[in-house]
Amino acid sequence: MISVSGVRKSFGAATVLNGVDLEIRQGEVVSVLGSSGSGKSTLIRCINGLEKIDAGKITVDGFDVSKPRELSEARKRSGTVFQLFNLYPHMTAVQNIALAPVEVLKVPRRQAEDEARELLRSVGLSERAEAYPSQLSGGQRQRVGICRALAMKPSYLLLDEVTSALDPEMTSEVLSILAALAKTGTTMVFVTHEIEFARSISTRIAFLDKGQLIADLPTAEFFSDKGMALPRVAQFLSKMRKD
Amino acid sequence: MRYGDFTPFDIVLLLQGLGVSLALFVSTTLIGLVIGTIWAVIRFYRVPVLTQIVTFVAELLKNSPVLVQLFLVFFGLPAFFKINVTPTEAAVITLSGNSAAFIYVIAVSAIESVGKDQLEAARVFGLTRWQILRRVIAPQAAAFAIGPLTGLLVNQLQVTSLISVIGVMDLTKVGNILNLRTLKPFIVWTAVGALYYLTAKLVAYAGGRFEKRLRAHTAWRGL
Amino acid sequence: MCRLKFDLSILAKHIPFLLEGAWLTLQACTLAVIGSLVLGLAVGAMRTSASPLLNRLAAVYVDIFRNIPFIVQLFFFYFGLPEIGIYIDAFTTGVVALSVAGGAFTSDVIRSGILAIDPGIIEAAQVSGLRKSTIFRKIILPIALRASVRPLGSVFINLILTSSILSTITLNELTGSAKIVASNTFRPFEVYFVLLVAYAALTYAVSIIIGMLHRYLNRNQSEGAV
Repeated sequence: MISVSGVRKSFGAATVLNGVDLEIRQGEVVSVLGSSGSGKSTLIRCINGLEKIDAGKITVDGFDVSKPRELSEARKRSGTVFQLFNLYPHMTAVQNIALAPVEVLKVPRRQAEDEARELLRSVGLSERAEAYPSQLSGGQRQRVGICRALAMKPSYLLLDEVTSALDPEMTSEVLSILAALAKTGTTMVFVTHEIEFARSISTRIAFLDKGQLIADLPTAEFFSDKGMALPRVAQFLSKMRKD
Repeated sequence: MRYGDFTPFDIVLLLQGLGVSLALFVSTTLIGLVIGTIWAVIRFYRVPVLTQIVTFVAELLKNSPVLVQLFLVFFGLPAFFKINVTPTEAAVITLSGNSAAFIYVIAVSAIESVGKDQLEAARVFGLTRWQILRRVIAPQAAAFAIGPLTGLLVNQLQVTSLISVIGVMDLTKVGNILNLRTLKPFIVWTAVGALYYLTAKLVAYAGGRFEKRLRAHTAWRGL
Repeated sequence: MCRLKFDLSILAKHIPFLLEGAWLTLQACTLAVIGSLVLGLAVGAMRTSASPLLNRLAAVYVDIFRNIPFIVQLFFFYFGLPEIGIYIDAFTTGVVALSVAGGAFTSDVIRSGILAIDPGIIEAAQVSGLRKSTIFRKIILPIALRASVRPLGSVFINLILTSSILSTITLNELTGSAKIVASNTFRPFEVYFVLLVAYAALTYAVSIIIGMLHRYLNRNQSEGAV
C-alpha cells in the first residue's frame, strides 16, 4: 500500500502540496486529475523520493521514503514512467531495460536481457530491441520507458503525464498498452490530462486543486452527480471537454 | 646573515622580474593584436595566396610548442641569417607571433559570428566591403571577441614565463636565481607562483570589466 | 648569399637519436594523459558533488593550477620535492607535473560534460534504485565522456605541446634531444624548424584521431544526448 498523509511541499514561496492524504491499495488504478500547477506531478515525485517533503509522511509498503535507508526499499517496490521518457541515451532499448534488474536485483545479465526482450515483444517492439533512443519515435521511446519500469517487477507503477509529449497517434499506442496493463491487475497511479482514458481504466479518481485533494471517489461516482456537485470538479471537467 | 639567506632586496628583485614579465606581456599582446587583426582582415578580403599563407602560419604557430618557436628565433635566426638577436628581441618576436596566431583565430570567428543577413543588408545599401567591416562587423565582432580574448590573455601571461629559458630576466628567471642562491625552492616558487596567480586574476578581472562596458556600449548603439 | 642554405641532409644521421627523444615524449604524454584523466574525473566529480567542502576544494585546485605558468609548477615539483625528502627522477617529476596541470583542465571539461546531462536521465536512474556509485559509473560518466571527446582532445594536444617544457629539467625528450642535436651540428635553424613542423604534424595527427573517436563513440546519437 502507498500511504500519503498530511503531505506539504513548497518551492520557495509557492505551496504546491498543502496537506494531501491518499491511500493506494494493491490492484487499484488511481488517476490523479487536476489543472496544470495543481501539484499532480509533484505528488508523484514525492512518492518516488525525487522531491523531499516539508511535512507529513509517505510510505510504500511501510517503508518511509523520507528516510534514506528505507527509500531504496521503497523505490524497489515502485516503478516510474516519465513525461519526457528520460531514457539513457547511450544504451540500447534492451540495455535501458536490463540495467536496473542487473544492478539492483542482481539478476544475471543474460536473463535480464531475455526478460527485457520479452517485455519489448509484449509492447510490439521486438524489432527495435537493439535500437538507441535517438533512433526511436516518441511513442516507441515511451513504450521502452514503460518496459524499463516494469522490468523491476514493481508493485506500483507511477505514471507522470506519460502521453503529454506525444502526438495523438503515439498517445493511443501508449494508452492501449496501459489499458492492457490495467486489465492484468497492475497497480497504477496515473497523473494525466486524458480524462476519458482515466475514466475508462481507473478504479478511483483523485482530484487535486491548489495543492489540496478535494475529491477522492470511485470512478463512477466522480463522473456522476456526486463529482459534479463539487464546483471545481465541474468547472474542470467542462473546460477539459470543451478543449 | 649567511650568503644563502633571503634579503629584503629579493622582494625588489621579484618585483623587477614581474615588471619585465608584464612589460613583455603588454607589448607583445598589442603587437599580436595588430598583426592578428591584419591577418583576419586579409582573410576577410579573401586575398589570394596571402590568405593561404596566413592560415598556414597561424596553424603552425598554434600547434607547435612556444619553447621551440623561441629556440628557432633565438638560436636559429642568428645562425641562419648571421644576424644578432638578443634574448629580449627573441622574446618579443616569438610572443608577438604566437599571440597573433591565437588572436587571428578569435578575430576570424568573431567576424563570422556576425550574421550573413546583416552583411547582405549592408551590401544592398551600397556599403563597400571596407565600410561593412568598419561600421557593421567591427563593433559586433569586438563585443563577441572580448570573452575569448580575456581567456587568451590569461594564457599568454603564463606563456611569457618561457622566455626565462633563453635568459630574459623575467619573474621566472628571478625565481631561478633565488632558488639557486637560497636553496629554498618551496618558498621561492610559491612566491613566484603567487605573483603570477595574482596578475592572472587581475587580467581576468579587467577583461570582465571591459567586457561589461563594451556590451553596454554596443547595446546602446543598437538602439 | 651562399650562407643561406637550408640543408636538412645534415640531420639524417641524427634521426635515430631524435626518435628516441620522440619516444620519451610519447611515453611521458601517454602517462600524463592517463594521470590527467584519473585526476580530472575525480576532481570533476568533486566539483559536481553535493558536498560544499569537496566542491570548494576542487575549485581551489583548478583555479591555482590554471593560473600559474606550467614551468613554475614544474620547478616547484622538481626542486621542491627533494627538499621534503621525495627523490624522484626528472621523468617521473615531469609526468606528475603534467598530470596535475592537465588534471585541472580535464576536470573543467568533465564538469561541464556532467552539468550538460539532462537531469531527468539521472532522476530515472535514481528512482530505479541504482546506487550513487553505479549511477556515476554507468550513466553519468559514459554520457559526459562521449560529449567531452573533442574538448578533451584539445586539452591533450596542449599537453603534448606543454611536454616540451620538460626539457628544462634535464629531460631529453623530443625538444631536449633536439637541443643536443642543434648544438652538435651547429644548424639550430634547420633543427628547430623541423622540430616545429614535427610537433605540428603530431598534434594534427592526434586531432584527426580524436575526430574519429568522437564520431565512433557518438555514432548512435544522431542529435547528441536526448
